[in-house]
Amino acid sequence: MNGGDLALARARAVLLGPAGLDDAAISRALGHLAGGGADLADLYFETTSLRTWRLEGGRVTNGGFSMRQGVGARAAHGGHVSFAHSADMREGALQDTVRAVRALARDGDTAAHQQGIALNRQADGHELYPIIDAVAVDDATAWIALLERIDQLARAHDPRIVRIDANVRAQDTTVLVANADGLLAGDVRPMTILAVMVVAETDGRRARGQAGLGRRAGLDGFDAASVETMVAAAVRMALQNLDAIPAPVGEMPVVLGPGYPGVLFHEAVGHGLEGDHHRKHLSAFDGKVGERIAAPGVTVIDDGGIAGRLGSLGIDDEGTAPDRTILVEDGVLTGLMQDRLNAGLMNARSTGNGRRQSYAHLPMPRMTNTFLANGQTDPADIIASIDRGIYATEFDGGQVDIVTGRFNFTTIEAWLVEKGKLVAPVRGATLIGVGHEALRHISMVGNDLAFDTGMATCGKQGQTLSVSVGQPTVRIDRMMVGGQTG
Amino acid sequence: MSELLTHSETDLRDAAALAVDLAVRSGAKARASVHHEGFAKIAVRNGDVETAERSGSQGLGITVFHEGRQGSASTAGFDRTAIERVVREAMLIAGHVQPDPDADLPPADSLAFSGPAPELYADSPRSPDVLLDAAQAMDRATSEIVASDNRLRAGETVAVATEGLWALATSDGFCRSIQRSNDARWAVMLAQDADGSTSAFCQSQERRVDALLPPALLTRNAADRARQALGARTIPSRRCPVLFDPRTASTLVGELAGALTGRAQYRKMSFLPDPIGRSVAAPHLDLLEDPFEPLGLASGGFDSEGIAGSPRAILRQGVVEGLFLSTFSGRKLGLASTGNADGFYNLRLTSSAASGDWQAMLEMLGTGLVVTEFQGGKTDPASGNWTQAVKGLWVEGGRVVHAVTDVTLASNMPAMLTGIRAVGRDVERQGAIRTGSILIDDMQVGGKA
Repeated sequence: MNGGDLALARARAVLLGPAGLDDAAISRALGHLAGGGADLADLYFETTSLRTWRLEGGRVTNGGFSMRQGVGARAAHGGHVSFAHSADMREGALQDTVRAVRALARDGDTAAHQQGIALNRQADGHELYPIIDAVAVDDATAWIALLERIDQLARAHDPRIVRIDANVRAQDTTVLVANADGLLAGDVRPMTILAVMVVAETDGRRARGQAGLGRRAGLDGFDAASVETMVAAAVRMALQNLDAIPAPVGEMPVVLGPGYPGVLFHEAVGHGLEGDHHRKHLSAFDGKVGERIAAPGVTVIDDGGIAGRLGSLGIDDEGTAPDRTILVEDGVLTGLMQDRLNAGLMNARSTGNGRRQSYAHLPMPRMTNTFLANGQTDPADIIASIDRGIYATEFDGGQVDIVTGRFNFTTIEAWLVEKGKLVAPVRGATLIGVGHEALRHISMVGNDLAFDTGMATCGKQGQTLSVSVGQPTVRIDRMMVGGQTG
Repeated sequence: MSELLTHSETDLRDAAALAVDLAVRSGAKARASVHHEGFAKIAVRNGDVETAERSGSQGLGITVFHEGRQGSASTAGFDRTAIERVVREAMLIAGHVQPDPDADLPPADSLAFSGPAPELYADSPRSPDVLLDAAQAMDRATSEIVASDNRLRAGETVAVATEGLWALATSDGFCRSIQRSNDARWAVMLAQDADGSTSAFCQSQERRVDALLPPALLTRNAADRARQALGARTIPSRRCPVLFDPRTASTLVGELAGALTGRAQYRKMSFLPDPIGRSVAAPHLDLLEDPFEPLGLASGGFDSEGIAGSPRAILRQGVVEGLFLSTFSGRKLGLASTGNADGFYNLRLTSSAASGDWQAMLEMLGTGLVVTEFQGGKTDPASGNWTQAVKGLWVEGGRVVHAVTDVTLASNMPAMLTGIRAVGRDVERQGAIRTGSILIDDMQVGGKA
């Protein structure tokens, strides 16, 4: 159980208590913040602790710990947003921060006080992730032993593995959101990410493999079988890439495997359906809600409420519980993802997609867990359908240009396919396309929906967040593959 | 006087010294650094303020060395309670990890206890009001341009100011601090015609306000780039020479420098293994590093270990003469630190080959692709495999024929570096890097069949 009174109690203990703040102080600060006739005003208190252990050259010789905390204060008048933040949360500093926002807002008499805002705590909890202490130093010995085990596992796989780096990053974030509508809500967000990178070398050729596991859990979220699968994936990628041939160049059919390649829908569809880009009429999908943009059978969903996934949130960073937003339903564009600011200006409601990197950043509409829903085709039949093309199973991120809808991503594990058979692994190649065109060229959707392993992150306007992406195997009839051989 | 800072250099030095003192009292050697920034930003579009932001940030980081083991911890507060906590955490970590003979403070005699510290701060007005005026001036300039060309639409114009302080103390008695400033302006322009939409931006970044590009020039550059990208289309897949404009060329120089960092070298994550004394680039190329350029964006009198860099050649006639080393990565490679614990200082790529201005470079390109923007892609650090989605211009006989989009470029970094034919005199500075446009003789372009 998390959220609700449990999370609020924790937030009060770790955020408000040490700063000497109570509900009355927050109520007063909100009253002042909203005093200039703001349409929206909120305070976001956050504390984050991070612990890392790092293995290089067979030994864990390095570790780190960091902690940060602070409060962000925001007031919006129409589309004009004023924002200030402070690492000092004591009442005097909080008042200074609120005054800075009022001065930036230029809303007239900055001394004007409104009465304190009456706060109603949000009592409903959630079961998406537990309240735990993921950074507990008591786990140090076990984490170090796990990293050493990863090193032994990788070395035992193949003598061509010449370098292994592995690390774990455990993070605890506790947030408290209060706004001028009287909302008071808390959430406790644990997150642990285990990553391994290996280098294989033979005959002067070198190749890299990588894999990782991310969980909204502590040490007990990393069972032996999952860790072994992760190490095997990194080793397999490096060894395959040692023998990789140059990728072909040109337009050809592409099959994207299940899991992380769903980043296609995050980039090609998701970003173009964030409310801010629509309010400013910047998106290539502007004005297309209700239109068919993909073949029947293509359904894309953003769902912040899937237990355990890294994009899931009990409440978003504005205190709204996340929706399951159907972005594309059977090929028709149906929904946008909204935060409070953009929803308010577009006469819509927040879908619980208001997220921010930290108290020092402004919230924006951001994705949570975004995926293509299952189809009905056997994935083996999809590969068998290719006469000559590419089968890609792992990518190293991706980008999209919101204005034009042009996206790209780069393979780190892919094969050349001829006559329905995998011929040889190919070197990293950049695949490019335009969102609405690629969607129309989806001709087969597999029945093997899977999500990424918990390593997906999303960057937007300089803010990085954990998300999740997923898809079943899909065939795209025409896509530009940027290899080295004509 | 600073309008953005709320702590003094003395406050920061005291906090760093306290952290080191607490660690020493626990029996360790230690290094602590403390930073504090004040920040203001105003974004304007179509006459309206979209966001106004003002903030302060701070942090203290400590690394302790105890019985051959190290531990690091950091905090966003530097009151005594927070400092005591992070020292305790760093000591706890050092108590858990394995010993590493390469993890230790640098020799005390290598520290820059005194010595030149380049100017990194210029006193300029940086209040939100000043930034509002600057952003509005750019927005007005944008409006004038948009009024004269119905293909253009205004994007946001942004003015940002940062002032910062940084202090470093070590248990060898080192304690120095610096003040720095940074001013940035940028403008986004949208363009649209019957074929579609595009956006472009132009940015200016300096350590003093009066060195920034004036609003009219900045917005005109953004408009020129947006117009130039209209009508973009793909080209057939082919091999051809490629000219990287100065903006994209600086990315290539950054990748070359990244492969020469100590960390990339000892982790075998460099496409230039064992590079010292080896020819890795065309023989007409020199790459020079200068830590001491006054108000340089990547200048510094010492790194975060307290060691000074030096003006030097990284590449001379295509041969690697130097790496970018910290004490730790240097020891892993059996070498001394070069004072580059925080990466490279100001870099300048020069060439002794035939060169010229932008127009001359287009003529040297003849028929081929100009790259004006990387849209995404990757360089594999281990193999050097290089792949990018790019935007640019198609050039025939030295003349621009049309804008290009929906193409990829692929090669590998070692081949690209030896394939550099010329570096233009159209030098621009992007952050730490100064370079002109870079002409590479032959690359694979991927486009329509």
